[in-house]
Formats: sequence, C-alpha cells, structure tokens
Amino acid sequence: MNRKGMFLFLLIISVCFLSGCWSKRELTDLAFISAYSLDLTEEGNYEATVQVISPGNITSGLQGGGGGSSSPPVIVYSVTGENLSDMDALITKKLSRTPYYAHTDLVVISEELAKKEGLPPILDELDRDIEFRTTTTVVIAKETKAKDLLTTLTGTDRVPATNIVKMLDTTEKALGENVRVNVHELITQVTSKGKEPVLPGFTLKGDPMQGKTVKSVQSTELEAAPEADGLAMFKEGKLIDWIEGETARGTLWTLDKIKTTIVSTSWEKEKKAIAYKVMRQKTKVSATLTKGKPKLSISTRAEGDIAEVKVPVDLTDPHVIKKIEKELEKEIKSEIEKAVQQAQKDKSDIFGFGEVVHRTDPKAWKKLEKEWDDRTFAELDVDVKVEALIRRTGLVNNSLHTTLKKEEK
Amino acid sequence: MLSFFKQKKNRSNPQQPKEEIYAHKQKKNRSDPQQPKEEIYAQKSSVMIDFSLSKNLEDIKRITGNSPDIVIRKVKIGDQAKTDAAVLFVKGLVDSRAVDEFFIESIMKSNHLQEKRTPEDLMGLITDEVIPLGQAQSMRNQEEIVDSLMAGNTLILIDGIDEVLTAGTQGGEKRAIQEPTTHISIRGSKEGFTETNETNIAMVRRIIKSPDLWVESMTIGQVTKTDVSIMYLKGVAKEDIVQEVRTRLNRIDIDGILESGYVEQLIEDQTMTPFPTIDNTERPDMVAANLLEGRIAILINGTPFVLLVPALFVGFFQTIEDYSSRVDIANGLRFLRVLAFFISLVGPALYVAATTFHQEMIPTQLVFIIAAQREAVPFPAVVEALIMELTFEILREAGLRLPKAIGSTVSIVGALVIGQAAVQAGIVSPAMVIVVSVTAIASFATPAYGMAISARLIRFAFIISAATFGFFGLILAFFLMIVHLCGLRSFGVPYMSPFAPFSPSDFKETFFRRPLWAMNERPRMAVGKNVTRQGENQKPQPPLSREMIMTDQKEGDTHES
Repeated sequence: MNRKGMFLFLLIISVCFLSGCWSKRELTDLAFISAYSLDLTEEGNYEATVQVISPGNITSGLQGGGGGSSSPPVIVYSVTGENLSDMDALITKKLSRTPYYAHTDLVVISEELAKKEGLPPILDELDRDIEFRTTTTVVIAKETKAKDLLTTLTGTDRVPATNIVKMLDTTEKALGENVRVNVHELITQVTSKGKEPVLPGFTLKGDPMQGKTVKSVQSTELEAAPEADGLAMFKEGKLIDWIEGETARGTLWTLDKIKTTIVSTSWEKEKKAIAYKVMRQKTKVSATLTKGKPKLSISTRAEGDIAEVKVPVDLTDPHVIKKIEKELEKEIKSEIEKAVQQAQKDKSDIFGFGEVVHRTDPKAWKKLEKEWDDRTFAELDVDVKVEALIRRTGLVNNSLHTTLKKEEK
Repeated sequence: MLSFFKQKKNRSNPQQPKEEIYAHKQKKNRSDPQQPKEEIYAQKSSVMIDFSLSKNLEDIKRITGNSPDIVIRKVKIGDQAKTDAAVLFVKGLVDSRAVDEFFIESIMKSNHLQEKRTPEDLMGLITDEVIPLGQAQSMRNQEEIVDSLMAGNTLILIDGIDEVLTAGTQGGEKRAIQEPTTHISIRGSKEGFTETNETNIAMVRRIIKSPDLWVESMTIGQVTKTDVSIMYLKGVAKEDIVQEVRTRLNRIDIDGILESGYVEQLIEDQTMTPFPTIDNTERPDMVAANLLEGRIAILINGTPFVLLVPALFVGFFQTIEDYSSRVDIANGLRFLRVLAFFISLVGPALYVAATTFHQEMIPTQLVFIIAAQREAVPFPAVVEALIMELTFEILREAGLRLPKAIGSTVSIVGALVIGQAAVQAGIVSPAMVIVVSVTAIASFATPAYGMAISARLIRFAFIISAATFGFFGLILAFFLMIVHLCGLRSFGVPYMSPFAPFSPSDFKETFFRRPLWAMNERPRMAVGKNVTRQGENQKPQPPLSREMIMTDQKEGDTHES
C-alpha cells in the first residue's frame, strides 16, 4: 500500500464516523413502559395510561438503590386523545424520556371500552407499531377502570405489569379458569369467522386510591390488589358476556388449554368429597356433517392423581377407582356442557367450532359461514365424551378415614 | 503510519542500511582505525591464511580488535620442540574442559609429535591421531577461520603451514532443559526447548527416531551469524513448501536475528494483518506432532521458540493435550476455546450494541437491572466500554513488564480501580465491569499468545463499529474480518482451510477432532505423498467372547445329557 492507498483507506474509515451514532439510544434516555391501558372517557375519547419503570427504584437492595421501598418502582402517566398514535405523541409532554414500548408486558382494556367500541379500532395500532410486540398479553379490566390496575402497587413482583402477567400464567397452569392471550392471537381470532376470542378478566379488590401509595405494599395485607376474574366473551369484536368459575374452566377444557387443575366430585351425598388433580389432558374437537348439517363432538381424555379424599373410600379397590373415574367424567362433562350452553346462548363461537367445520368440509362451510354464529352455532348439536383416568393415589393409598372406619367396626 | 512507509522505502535498498551499520561499527573499533572492517566483509574476502604464524596471529588479533576474550596459547611442538604453533579459542564460548584436556594437553604431551619434522606431517598427525574430537577440519580462508573461531571452535595454527585446523569445541554456559513457560499442559512432556539449537534438534530427534527426519542448517544475519535450522519429515512434508521455506530464509539479508520473531516477520506471507500466519512453540512434543502432520519447523539459535509453518487459523485453538486426552473431553475443551475467542473478540461490542441500539433484545428483567445500574453513569456505554478496556489493557501491560516483587501491587491496585472504586464512584456500571472481566479472562483462554493478542486489538475495532451502527456494524466488521482471514495464506496454504476452501477430509480435524483410532490420514493441506498415518482397524475392542470361564468345572457338572 502506498501513500495514496493509505489516504484512500483513511477516507473510507472516516466515512464510518461521519454518520455519528445513528439511531443510538442510551438506556438512560428511554422510558421503559411496562404496561399500557385504555379507558373510555365520558366524552367518548380514549384515555391512555402508561406505566413507566423507574429503574433506580426497581432494584432495591442492589448497589445505589437508595430509594428502596420508599419510592414506587413505577410511575403512571395518563393522557386523553382521539387515537392511539396521537396519545403516544401527547404523552411526551409529561415524560422526560422517550417512551419505549418494546418491553411492554401487558395491555389492559377497560370493560366499558370493550363493550362500547370493541377491539378492532385499537388493535390496528398495536399491530402496526414497530416497537410494540404482538406477544404482549391482553387483559380486560372488569368492574374497574383499566388505569386502576396500572396504578395499584403490588407486593411480590414489584412491577405491577409483571405481577399481573405472572399471576395469569400461574392461575392458567394451576387452576385453568383463565387463559393468557397475546395481541397476535387476539387479532387472528377477531378476524377469523369461525372463532371468537376470549380474554382474561382482571378486577381490583380494595380501594384504588389506597393502592397507589407505597404504604399499601408496606403492610402484610395489601390495601388493594388485582385479581384474575373470569373470561370475557366477545362477539364481532365486542364484549358481550363474562364466563365465570366452572363454566370458564369448561371453556378451557374445550379449548384444550387445561394444563393441571383440580376437579372435585361428590361421593355418597358428601359434596366435593373427592378431589382429583389432572396432570395431563387432551381434548379433541371433531365435526361430522350429515346432509349439510354439522354435528360437533368433543372428546376429552384426562389423566391424573387423587389429590384429596374427605370421606372413607377404599382406594385399594380397583372397582372403587373405576367408580370414582365415572363420577369424575360426569363432573368434567357437565363443566364442558355448561360452557357450550352459555356460548350457544350468547351466540358466540369462542371454541372455534366454525374452524373445525371449515377444516372438515370446506365446501359446506361456504354455505354455513354467513349464518354460523346466529343460527347454526346456537342450535348446534354437541356431543361430549370424557374419559378420566386415575393413575396414582398420591403418596398414600387409603386415607386415614378408611382406617378409622375399619377400627370402629 | 507515514513514517513506517518511509522506513519501508529505505528497506527496499538493502545496500544502504548495511553500510550504515558497518560504518557505525567501525567507529567503535578502537584498535585499528586504518583497516576498515567492512572491507574484509565486503570483499567476501578471498584473503587466505599466510605461512607465517606470527602474521596470522597478528591478522586475527587485528580483525577481532584485540579482544581480551580471545585466548592465544602458543606451544612448541615437533622434533626438539622447534616448530611454533598456537591454539586459539574464545573464552566462554568453548567447552574449556575439552580444550584443556584434549587439545593443549594432548598436543604438548604427544610422543608422536616429537618425531615428526615437517610441519605438513605435524598437521596430518594432529588431525588424525592427536585430537580425539570430532568435527575437525582444515581451512584456508581467513574469513571462514575467524567465523569458525567466533562460533566457538578451537583453531590450531602451525608455523609454516597455510592451513588452519579447526575443531568443534562449542560449549560454555547454557541453560538447562526446563519446563516450558508457555503452552503449559497438565498431561504430557515437561521438556521445553532451550536457547541452543543442537540441544533443541536433539530433543526433537529423541521423539522422532526416524532417518526421514531431515535437518538443514544455515546461517542468517550478517553480524550475528545466527544458526538457523529447518527440520521436516522427508516424504511427509510437501516438497514445494520445504523449497519455499528454503528460498524465503535465503532471501533474508539483515544484520541480526535475535529471536524467532525476527525470522517470522521476514518470511511471513502477509505483513498487514493482526493474525499470526506462523505458529511458534516452546514444546518439542508439539514440534514433533506438527512434523508428523507435514509441517516444517524452523529452529533459531538463541531462542526457545521454534517456528512452525504452514500455520492454519484452526491450529491456534488446538493444544498438544487435545490429543492426549479423551476425545469427548478434548472436543468440549476445543469448543470452549473457540467460544472464549469469540467472546474476547465481540464481548464488549455486543454489550455496547445491545444497550445503545437494540434494547428490545435484552430480556425485560435484565434490561431493567442494566438500566438501573446505568442511571448514575455519566458516559455513554461506548465510552464506558473503551475506558474499561483501556484500563484493563494498561493493567495487563504494566503487570507483564514489572519486576515480580512489584507485580502483585499492580494487581491489587488494578482490582480496586477496575472493580470497586470505579463502580462506587459512578464512573462505570457493574454490568460493564462483568463484561470487561469476562472478556479479559476469555482472552487468556486462547492457547496461542499471538492469536489472543490479535483478538485484543481487533476488539477495539469491534467496539467502535458496534457503537456506530449497532449489530449491523458489528456484523459488517465481522464480515470484514472473515474476508480478511480468507485472503490470508501461510506458505501458500490458505489460512482458513479447511473451511475456505472447504476440504471434507481435513474438516474432521478442526474445531473438533475424531477419536485417535479414526485418524487414519494426515491433513492434506500440508502433506506431500505419505498421507497414511496409521493402519486400519485401530479401534480398540473387547475380546469377542465374553463368556465366563469356569476354571474348576468337571465333567458332569453341567446339565448336558
């Protein structure tokens, strides 16, 4: 390389530096938004609320934490506007740093907004935005303002958004009455003709005003705390009804979303005498069409252990086990049937039966499609088959009741 | 940078520096200003030795500047001790016991010598009978004689003969064979090369006892006259490469070779690269292993570091121990080394790119923690990274050159500066400290020092490219590096082979290795004709039948009818 070549080389190198640090964002210039909520104001506008992490307070106990529990880990800002992008820009009037949505865990939509306006108007921006992830969880604020779920401080997980998402995960796994749905799934379900979405509901137990202060999380019993509560049922993008309790679990059975759950059944007039822990389950939904009339069948196969026995039962007897299995099957079947009945009553195909029919007979579906929700689905014949298998009886065979009863004799 | 090119330009004219050097030397020469030394060398002198002993001695004294370490011992030999003779040697360079006992004593006491009359007879007798040492030879050229003297040989001059007898008596103080300080291994030979070429050659020969192990010697360095030997396995090494090594070594015209690094820089294929294209080692077993794979070793007197050519990129991540440990463990460790090299290259750059451009890539919980740590730090991440990397490099360099007694102080102060104080002062974030220290440790995991240090240098380029363009810049820089690596050659062999060009047969011996019993062929890149390494069916197996043998079984014990 001669001197000319060297000069050229230096020129090329310097080009790299001319751009500066293009689109560089230091961590200290970003406002990490952990949760985003939408309410409907009285005038009919949106009210967007962002939950911004204050990094210095979140890692108390670490170096230089300083604040610790004396200052809240998040700060909440609200803004009202006509559309989401507008509010995005307006919120910077209150923020010292650039709002950053890539780490947003949670979107809360208020019940009122979901009922009146429906989901489609707000989902577009969430889908289109570059930063915003479509894997973000969506929940509905039930009987409370969506903002209140964001302002309420939580205990175990200090970031309220993380707390709600984790709570949802845990309850979906252990109880099976709630289901985690993200923006992407929600959009595909809203746009699908053969399936309507369900979204988990969250309510706030306690006083929202008390929940805002750090004092609330300094006591062992929180002044206000979010709680998972039911499933919101949608039709054509609008919230129409809530599914609660066992019916909600029946919905998850049908959706094949149950991981583990406890099913209790009565035994010799004692209510909920035997508890059964489902460890594995598989639910299949299939459709048969006779003369263009569809018939759906749901078959569930559950495997699990005996979790609890309140009455004396001889668990060493295979006949008894068989009998318990039969009782459990009845119990699960009734849960599923309840769920199907409610969906049919509300004329909302939350189970995706339409999609099943579509897959089975695409040609027939073309005819059924138009009147699916309002007529065909509502009058659909659904056959439920449940098979429950008891694999183990937990750590012990017979319960102490059985032993006691034998001694009495 | 520009001054470098000026120097390079000067180099292109080899005559000029040579003159300067000799002129410089002449100034120092106190004894004889009239006779410029350069003349003797410049003529490639055809000056022959004289018949007169006194003139010869005078000449040698003049040439060597009457240096006091050149011992001239005058003796009288022959019939009635009439003939004058002299024994010359350099104090310290010769094995003084050999000179005293075998040389002077035997010449003075030999009965045969006293019978002979003519100087010619005396010379023949000394050569044939008196001197019990090997490597005796007679010389006439004055320059050759002086060179031989300087190499540690002993000269015998006899009055009236225009011939000088030189005998190999090289010796003197040298370092004993010790454990090598680099390329340390847990399992394997503990021998390391010394500074003496003969010892080093013998150490390799002790491992490879084959007549095919050929050694060629030459002298390089106009002033230092350093012995350089090339060593290869005839038939295994590619003849073209051996010839290439020969020509490149012969091309060298320099005043002094002080270390193998001098030779390395003068014979390497590509000078504008941070990557080493010639391997070096202090271990005889490593040299032996490389010779068996068709490489060529270049041994340089005065340094325990032996050069190995051609060197491939993958070779710098292999250690001799890889082949003495079990295959699964060796492969795991090799993978670890490559990973460590990768970390040492891009560690801080990844951190800088992720925290300033791609915050969405960091897991949510982690980004909050990093953000919290960076709250109080006044610098951008890239400045922080550069400060820490520089501090570490300064510490490393300072620790390397310091006397051992002060060395520990540096590490203590350094640990305080890098670790606690900097974090507490809010200059850097703890995450940065972790990144820098992991990178630092990773850079020491590369077995070859030359490769590890190149990674250290390139790391800074990576940090800057990551800070300007994020991952995009990082990938660009990485591509640049790969392209550069693919363009390198080591003695005609592509540096990145067997990856580029891809060679399926050699590929088995790269970042992983096959079990020893499956390594039937030598790597093809450097090997000539003899490719087969071992016989077929080398896989050890248990005996075919594993039936139990009952030793105390009698007839009828079994249930057979």
